[in-house]
This record gives sequence, C-alpha cells and structure tokens, in this order.
Amino acid sequence: MGPFLQLNVRKTYGDFALECEAEFGGGVTAVFGPSGSGKTTLLDCIAGMTSPDSGEIRVQGAPLYSSDKRVDLAPEKRRFGYVFQHGALFPHITVRENVMYGYELTPDSERRFEPDEIVNLLGIAHLIDRSAKNLSGGERQRVALARALAVSPRALLLDEPLASLDAAHRASILTYLRNVSEKLGTPMVYVSHSLSEVMALASNTLALSQGKRVAFGPTGEVMAHPEVAQIADYSTLENILEAEVVSTDTSTGTSMLKLGETVLVGPPTSAVPGEQVTISIRAGDIILSLGVPPKTSARNAAPSVIRELREVGGRVLVYLDIGEQFIAEITPASAYELGLAVGRDVHVVIKSNSILVFGSESDPGAVR
Amino acid sequence: MLDAILISVQVAVVATLINLPIALVLSWLVVKKRIRGAFLLDILASLPLAVPPVVVGYMLLLMFGRHGPLGKVLEAALGWELVFTWFAAALAAAIVSFPLTARAIMVAMQGVDERIERSARSLGAGPLRVVLTITLPLAYRGILAGVLLGFVRAVSEFGATIVVAGNIPGKTQTLPLAIYQNVQLGRDSEAMTLVAISIALAVVALAVHNWLLARANRL
Repeated sequence: MGPFLQLNVRKTYGDFALECEAEFGGGVTAVFGPSGSGKTTLLDCIAGMTSPDSGEIRVQGAPLYSSDKRVDLAPEKRRFGYVFQHGALFPHITVRENVMYGYELTPDSERRFEPDEIVNLLGIAHLIDRSAKNLSGGERQRVALARALAVSPRALLLDEPLASLDAAHRASILTYLRNVSEKLGTPMVYVSHSLSEVMALASNTLALSQGKRVAFGPTGEVMAHPEVAQIADYSTLENILEAEVVSTDTSTGTSMLKLGETVLVGPPTSAVPGEQVTISIRAGDIILSLGVPPKTSARNAAPSVIRELREVGGRVLVYLDIGEQFIAEITPASAYELGLAVGRDVHVVIKSNSILVFGSESDPGAVR
Repeated sequence: MLDAILISVQVAVVATLINLPIALVLSWLVVKKRIRGAFLLDILASLPLAVPPVVVGYMLLLMFGRHGPLGKVLEAALGWELVFTWFAAALAAAIVSFPLTARAIMVAMQGVDERIERSARSLGAGPLRVVLTITLPLAYRGILAGVLLGFVRAVSEFGATIVVAGNIPGKTQTLPLAIYQNVQLGRDSEAMTLVAISIALAVVALAVHNWLLARANRL
C-alpha cells in the first residue's frame, strides 16, 4: 500500500511562504511547530479551505489539488473531518443535529460508521438532546469529533484540538483520540505546538518552522532532531500515558497505578479499581538513579532500561522503558557523571505527587 | 389621512421586499465570498446614505422619465410610465433605505464565525446549503433588525419620493408628504396628528430593532 496522503504545496502570504513536501501513512501523523510556522495553512490546504499557489495533494493516489492538472476539489468533496480548536459546533441546533448534519449528507455507499457507534465511542450519549451552545470545553471537542467522524471521513484533520482545554480535559480527549485511532482506524493529521501531545499520540511527525520542513519521520527521532530542538520547548514535556487503577487507599491518600508491568504509587483519585486512567508525569520531574536508591521521600523507584539518549537544546532526553516508553529530561552534566548509556539499567524515581491522574471513562468535568 | 398611512405602509413594504434579497446576496458576496472588487460594491451599497435623497430622486427621474433611457424602454414594452406612480415612490424608498438594510446584514453575517461555516463545508455541505442551514439561521436576528431599520427609513422617505413620485393625495402621497402639505397649507392640527403617528411608529420599530440586536449578540 502506498502512502495515504502525498503533499507537495507552495503557498505565499505576504512575507510568509509555506513550502512543504511529505508523504503521510495511516495512523496519527503530527504536524508540529511554533505558531506562525505554517501548520494550520498546511492543514487548510489539505482540507481545501485554502488553495495552494502551486503543487499537488493526493489522497490514496487520487489528486485533491493539482496545479498542473488544474484540479482543486471543494472542501465538501474531499471528505475529511476537520476539528477546530474551539470545536466550532453549530450553536443553534442540538448535539444530535450536529452529529447528524454531515451523516445525512454522506452517501450510503460511503458510510462506514453509524452515528450510535460514534456517539458511544466518544461518550456523548447523555448530551445528545442538549443544545450545542451549553457544553463544557471537553464535551464540545468530543461532539466536534463525533460530528466529523459521522461522515466516515478519509482522515481526521485536527487543528490544535486540545489547546483551549485544561490539563484534565486534555488528557481525557487524548484518550478518546487514541481510542478512535485504534478502534476506527481513521488516519489523523494532528496539528499542535505541544510536544507532550505529539509524543503521546503521533507515530510520525512533520516538524515545520517558518513554512519549511525541518524534520519528518518517527516522532521520537523528529523530537530529538537538532533543528527541532531549536523550536521545541522541552521544559514543558510531559509523559502522557495510559494506566490502570489497581487500588485506592483513602487512609494514606494514595492510589496504585499499573503502567505496563510497573506499579506506581500515585496521588488519590476518584477512579475506581480496574478503571483506565490517563496519567501525566513531567519529564523534568523524573530522577534517575544507578542501582536501587537509598530510602527517599519519593514513593516510586522502578527498575528500567535506557533505550535511547539524545542531547538536544542543552538538555538530555533519556528514553526509558518501564513497560511503556517514557522520557526523562536531565542536564548533560548529570548524564555525564552517571555515565548513562543505551542499554544501562537505571531506576526511575518519581514522587507520587508528580503524577497527575485523569479519569478517562467519564468527562472529568462532569464527575464529582 | 388614512390614505397617507396606507400608502406609506404599502410603499415601505414593497421597498423592503425589493431590498431584502439584493442586500442578502450583496452582503454574502462582500462578507463571505469576498469577491474581487468587494470594496467597490460596499461603497456602491452605501452611496445613497451619503448623497442627498433629492439627488437619488432626480437620477430616477432622469432614468425613468418620458425621455430617460429606461423610461423609453418601459413605455415601449409595457406602455407604462413609472414616474408619478406609487411604485416610483417605492423604488425611491428602496434605494434610499438600502444602505441601512445592507450594512446591518453585513454586520450580522460578519458575526457568524467562519470556522463554523468551514466545519459545515468539510462535513459535505455546499456553499448554498451552508448559507441556508448555518449562516442565515445564525444571523437572522441581525438580518431582521436590518430589515426593520430599512423599513422605518422607507416610511420616512421624503426627498427622493417627492421628485420622482410627486405629491398626489390618495396616489403617491405618503405620511411625510402629507405632513409637508398640511404644514404648507397651515393645517397645523392635521400636521401634528400625522407627526405623532410618525413618531409613535418610529419608536415602536426602533424598540423592536434594539431588542432583536440585543438577542442577536447573545447568541
């Protein structure tokens, strides 16, 4: 099977010029870059909201845009599900009508998903008769996703869909996005300036800066690319991971969280044992120790192996394996003094309070 | 007196019916489609607001008069003369009130978030469907407010009307023209009654207009 999406676009606005060539496969591909790097322009070109000046855009080999062949399909003919930062729901109708809007315009032969299936997958069944005007940020984005998926799109185009949400909702929507990607197999193009989101979601990443492609490939490699280091802010990097609640103990105010093969002690959570939650740990909050650390106040010291070491932007990113991939951010001096190397066994030390736990099954804003 | 009120309402209703579709299409072209030369259309739409109404009336007279280019065509085709009919008054009122309606509709359409319309496009809706199912329902209060403002302006039209439609009682004499005639003839009490009716009509219309706009902004 060839690439899902082939891009070769040039677009100029005044001083700004976007010039980009890339081939996206299935799965989740992130378009990463600072604001003004041209990521949204690129997405708009794919969606047909903007016409490039020249170039070609093909989906599964068929041209959507081609300056040579004079092809430029209207957005309604491209069948991409576009999701904006603020959802851009239709405020004058109900949630159900929002979801059905595109479904009803989709020919029978193109329908692969039924609305009920999508509504359940995104957990919005209880909102279905509400007006789309009165929803929380997280609910809005889930309805926007459901509405886009109801047309059985060839791909989802997501423009900073989490940027206007708080940490809890962000984690929750990330979980929904992972579920959508796994269960429906719909490819996604995910535009974001957030390293953590890109790391948590995308298998491949296209990094843009000032309209030019600076790196493209597997996310882990792109993120450690020296030119990407100049546009990425590693200090905000969080590990956003799925975990299962093993138990909660109200007397000690802790919970046990199973992450791959490792069980971590986390902060108290309202989630019940057995529930899947999303956890977030800042890469900078993780301490590495050679051998079993002596007694410390940190509750967690889990054995792990170094898979990769990358020095970028004056920091060292340590890719660890504790059953799941995990990144710690340390200074080059520490890495040197500890003699860290790929394949070396280390213990990761994490304070339970450094772990943020977000319920994923229900909207975190709605519980409690 | 009742004649003048009925003629005024008839003239203003017809003027509004002429204006609404034109203003909707023009606003869409300028605000949403952003066609080349949109700024010229914008100026053209607002021009009647900036020139004295008597100029509008005179231009109509030149165009539709017995010797005017359009007047000749109408005469030859239908054997009908527009000048000094109530329809001439409606046309004059339409042109003079058009900027108020069109500008209000432009503002109302501008208030509809483009991302919402783009979402509809990506969900499979063509441009016309987006207008009918998204833009108009979201902008309708502002559009109604503009229609009402235009209607009030059409009711109060004087300068252009008197030039192109004359002041014929029972035929082309609208409320403002009747007030003018009564003042001229020194019939102060009749004039005052009509003035009171004018003001009452304006106050009610403006109150409804403001209420609509307040609701439109809340959406």
